[in-house]
Amino acid sequence: MLVRIFGYFVSEAAVSLRRSWKVSLVAIVTIAMSLFIGGTFLLLTANLSRVVEEWRDEARIVIYLTADDLATEGSRVLEQASEPFWVTAVKEVSAAEARSRFENMFPSVRELFKDWEEEPLPPSLEVTFDPEVVGGERVDEWLASLRSDPAVVMVDDDRDWLRQLEALIAILTGLGAVVGVVLLTAAVFTIASVIRLTAYLYRDEIEVMRLVGATELFIRGPFYVEGFIQGLLGGLLAVGGLYTGYLILNPRASTTFLGNVVVDRFLAPEVLLSLLLLGSLAGLFGAVLSLRREKLG
Amino acid sequence: MIRFLNVGKSFPGGRSALKDVSFNLERGEFAFLSGASGAGKTTLLKLIYREIEPSSGQILVNGRNVASIPSAKVPFLRRSIGVVFQDFRLIPRKTVLENVSYLPRILGMRQQERKRLAYNTLRRVGLAHRMSAFPAELSGGEQQRVTIARALINRPEILIADEPTGNLDPELSWETLRLFLEINSKGTTVLLATHEHGYVRALGGRTLVLDRGRLVKDEYLEGHVGDIDSDSAEDVEDPARQPTGRMA
Ligand SMILES: Nc1ncnc2c1ncn2[C@@H]1O[C@H](COP(=O)(O)OP(=O)(O)OP(=O)(O)O)[C@@H](O)[C@H]1O
Ligand SMILES: [Mg+2]
Repeated sequence: MLVRIFGYFVSEAAVSLRRSWKVSLVAIVTIAMSLFIGGTFLLLTANLSRVVEEWRDEARIVIYLTADDLATEGSRVLEQASEPFWVTAVKEVSAAEARSRFENMFPSVRELFKDWEEEPLPPSLEVTFDPEVVGGERVDEWLASLRSDPAVVMVDDDRDWLRQLEALIAILTGLGAVVGVVLLTAAVFTIASVIRLTAYLYRDEIEVMRLVGATELFIRGPFYVEGFIQGLLGGLLAVGGLYTGYLILNPRASTTFLGNVVVDRFLAPEVLLSLLLLGSLAGLFGAVLSLRREKLG
Repeated sequence: MIRFLNVGKSFPGGRSALKDVSFNLERGEFAFLSGASGAGKTTLLKLIYREIEPSSGQILVNGRNVASIPSAKVPFLRRSIGVVFQDFRLIPRKTVLENVSYLPRILGMRQQERKRLAYNTLRRVGLAHRMSAFPAELSGGEQQRVTIARALINRPEILIADEPTGNLDPELSWETLRLFLEINSKGTTVLLATHEHGYVRALGGRTLVLDRGRLVKDEYLEGHVGDIDSDSAEDVEDPARQPTGRMA
């Protein structure tokens, strides 16, 4: 019985969608647009967050020393740096090593160092530590004491720019949420107008249905389903668009560092499902909204 | 079954369509409602299934005060009343079959059953062969018969027919009247509005006459089958004379 009633709603909605496919398309496209743009933000922030997590797991500080001090004070600083229990490894990087690393990373500027007499880069100690084991404050204190060591030129803390990335992610997420919500609201109102228009076009039929004994459920049910279907189709369109965009950008992006970061992986299935659900609910909500006060027929 | 108590109906603008109308139609009765064009027949019928509400007085249908039925319950009142609308009111985008089987459909009847029921009902009005046509593809008389089939399909307790033979030729008119009598003999209360006095005189029975919004006559007429100038007159004779159902 319930299945048959729902079947009735769906078939009525399908007929109506087919009959007024042009206006329906407008509704579907607005939903798709908002979900697509919202989804793009999600894609960016998801990839960025993943990268941040990966980096955070291998948080490092780099202690730069002068070449002279390395000989005399190196072992003392090294000892001081490896002392705390949260330090997992300390690696000495000589000036020569630093240069060859740099040359590998940026082959095009290799020529630049060719005629230098001195090593262009200072030697350093790379200290890997587990930030989970200890609170940030104790790490900060430890860093401060290292920084105040006269033999230490500079201490680089990865967490500084991880923090900046996190701030960027937060901004992107917020921006995405705002843009997404604004667009989705617009889409809801578009669907609402489309449904209201359809209901208006069918008002004579609706009146007849009422006169022969249709309850409110039977009058409104097909419209609710229609809104839901429009939202779902919009969601599918958005997901399809996102995936197409991802497929196009991904191979090109992997050659650049930023691209690699930003479009390395596609959205998780549950995120995609949420987008579809969001679209469908937006459509349904639009229908409910449009028929809220309407005395149909 | 249907009781009007001092019912008045005036439309916005002060036009008064019904004035102080009282009558009582028992369960299983068959009555004609006649009167000139504009006398208020359609208005009276619309009050019964609450398409409109009375300005004064009370209307009881099946013991319930129609005006006090909450609007969410009105559909259930309407499901028990089959209405043959004067202006047909078919749904243009639905086929004949879909129009006729609309109520069974929202009542959740299976497609097979629904189709069979619609087919049988359409056969009774001689339209089984036009099941998949759309209303616009039908003649006026055919549309009228679809409307009749739709009104009958759910075996309503009450049948309200507003000028149901207005677009039919005499032969089809008599067949339709005979159909109504048959329905009536199975227990359905029938109220049939017509300004064709010929049928009323020929068939006789309970007759309510409206004149400019007033109920001026409520009487039993003797049937004069002789008045029927059609071959099908003989067919009509039998059900017309059957007291079952026709008399309260
Ligand atoms: N919605 C309305 N608004 C204003 N006046 C109306 C309305 N409906 C009917 N009337 C008026 O009420 C009176 C009765 O109309 P009604 O339709 O009941 O007549 P009728 O007896 O059915 O006529 P007919 O035989 O031509 O169908 C008419 O004068 C009509 O103009
Ligand atoms: Mg009328």
